[in-house]
Amino acid sequence: MRQIAIYGKGGIGKSTVSANMTASMAEAGLRTWYVGCDPKADGSMTLMGGEKLPTFLDQMRDDESNRYKVGTGYRGVHCLEVGGPLAGVGCAGRGIIVALQSLHRDYLKDDADVVLYDVPGDIVCGGFATPIRQGFAKEVYIVTSGEYLSLYAANNICRGLKNLGIGLGGLICNSRDVANEETAVRTVAERFGSRMIGFIPRHQVVRDCENAGRTVIEHAPASEQAGAYRKLARDVLSNDMFNVPSPLDPVELRNLLKELTAE
Amino acid sequence: MSGDVLHPRPNPIVAAMYTLRDMDVDVIVVHGPAGCGFMVSRRLEDAGVKVVTTGMRENDLIFGAEDKLVRTLGRVQEEMHPSLIGVVGTCASMIIGENLDRAIQKAGIKAKVIPVDVHGCSGPNTTGAVRALEVASQMGVIPQEEFFRQREMLNQATLLETNRGLTSKDLLSPNYGVTKYTAAKRIFDTLKDGGRVLVVLNGKKELAYGHADILRAVRECSSRIGGKTHFIANLDRNVGLPRIRRYASDITRDLVEADVRIEHITGGLDEYPMAGIKAAEHISRIDHDLLIACGIVHAIPKLDHDAILVSDQPREVDNYLKEGFRDVVSEPDIHARVMSARSILRTELGDTIREMSKEAA
Repeated sequence: MRQIAIYGKGGIGKSTVSANMTASMAEAGLRTWYVGCDPKADGSMTLMGGEKLPTFLDQMRDDESNRYKVGTGYRGVHCLEVGGPLAGVGCAGRGIIVALQSLHRDYLKDDADVVLYDVPGDIVCGGFATPIRQGFAKEVYIVTSGEYLSLYAANNICRGLKNLGIGLGGLICNSRDVANEETAVRTVAERFGSRMIGFIPRHQVVRDCENAGRTVIEHAPASEQAGAYRKLARDVLSNDMFNVPSPLDPVELRNLLKELTAE
Repeated sequence: MSGDVLHPRPNPIVAAMYTLRDMDVDVIVVHGPAGCGFMVSRRLEDAGVKVVTTGMRENDLIFGAEDKLVRTLGRVQEEMHPSLIGVVGTCASMIIGENLDRAIQKAGIKAKVIPVDVHGCSGPNTTGAVRALEVASQMGVIPQEEFFRQREMLNQATLLETNRGLTSKDLLSPNYGVTKYTAAKRIFDTLKDGGRVLVVLNGKKELAYGHADILRAVRECSSRIGGKTHFIANLDRNVGLPRIRRYASDITRDLVEADVRIEHITGGLDEYPMAGIKAAEHISRIDHDLLIACGIVHAIPKLDHDAILVSDQPREVDNYLKEGFRDVVSEPDIHARVMSARSILRTELGDTIREMSKEAA
């Protein structure tokens, strides 16, 4: 069973990339799980045909003996949304810890091929590091654009990974169409001691498919964009290079980007 | 020494609860897991304070437990009809950022509610006491000057513990010291030889109900077999919150009845850090052949290692022995028995002294 965790700055397109990777793997015949760890619980919507799943934590809250009804989406993908508290109360991190422990104990069958964790934002506290604790994902990918703040967040995530001694499988560039983006992401990735494992171009078709409540793989299977996601999924599955990253000093990172993106 | 203090010791939650008791709250609501503070809750219930818990569970950590606190406050009002309530935070509720003020406002109950937003990791235990007093003074439950006085005293207490008390060593283990017989024999022999015995009480709040018995017993022994006695105590009846003054009055009444004449009053029962320093000055001016110090004795500077020390805290006994004192006596059950006391209790050392003097007389 491969367990993969996807991290990255908020709003950078983690869920879009994660859902399309999951769909690509399912399309290739793998038994896949998508586990959304964002309290907003909307990452699986395109896999579920636009339907928002009730969250794991909400169901357990009503009755601890409840059995969570795992969503079955595109090509049989198992979807689970952890969920969490309303903004400003409780502890989302604790929610992830409790939900993922239960997921492993009571739900994941040994016959799953791939489990993909879509984790929100930065690794802000211990809870958000649960998906990469022992027994969970051994592979981490970071979605980023070529912009400073996005790479800055990636750098912070690398600091977390270094701290925890977890290997980074690579950076996934989800393009925002900024100058020299691919070179910038590739170079920063190499400075982390890793590599850029995939480049997803920016394309209108992604928005169209999301508006239709579908992944690109399902809704525009013949598009070039779908091809990019499929290639990414293949490269991730065949990847065997995982180095504990060496993060950069933020000033060093900024200077590097200045150099790389100077027109 | 690594600087890490390893042995268990009180925390800000417990200190806040005791301080709320001092302010005569009717009910304390612990916002946290059911077991949090349950040992201290039982003791406080002996002192007539009702304690309830919101009983937080795993789901409350994730989603927040404000509603539970609102409900609990409603139940408390309905079933216990209090006029003053204290709400105390715990690690669980405070780490997830529970808003005590908002919950109290939402509950909208008749009783006055003092929210104390501390938890186990907020610092030394006195942090909890200071916070409880601060909020209470802001709400007009206690005068501001009283808050300032107690805050100063609590800061002194923290320093005292770090320099010479329970947190001055990284590992202390419970030690029950010498036998009561050994200590009583020294006292008895000194008096029998016509010697002068000086007894100093440096009491801490309700614990003085226990320690004051040594003064009584020494006086009784001397009246039977001779010798001379001197007494110093922090029993000022005009210092502190009404409850603390009541302790001083109760104890003074019993001491007068036992013919114990206090020569020097060193302060109130919540002033032990400073009262100890005053006691030391008096000790140096009173001729004596044997000194007995009871209560928070590490607050009395420059005590002779020949003194007999009486403590209710077995770890403190270990501390004193490590400091070079020899005749340290423990009275560990004082803690549990004083909570509902309104008169001086009998102690084992006190009874041993009495028995010895009765046999001789």
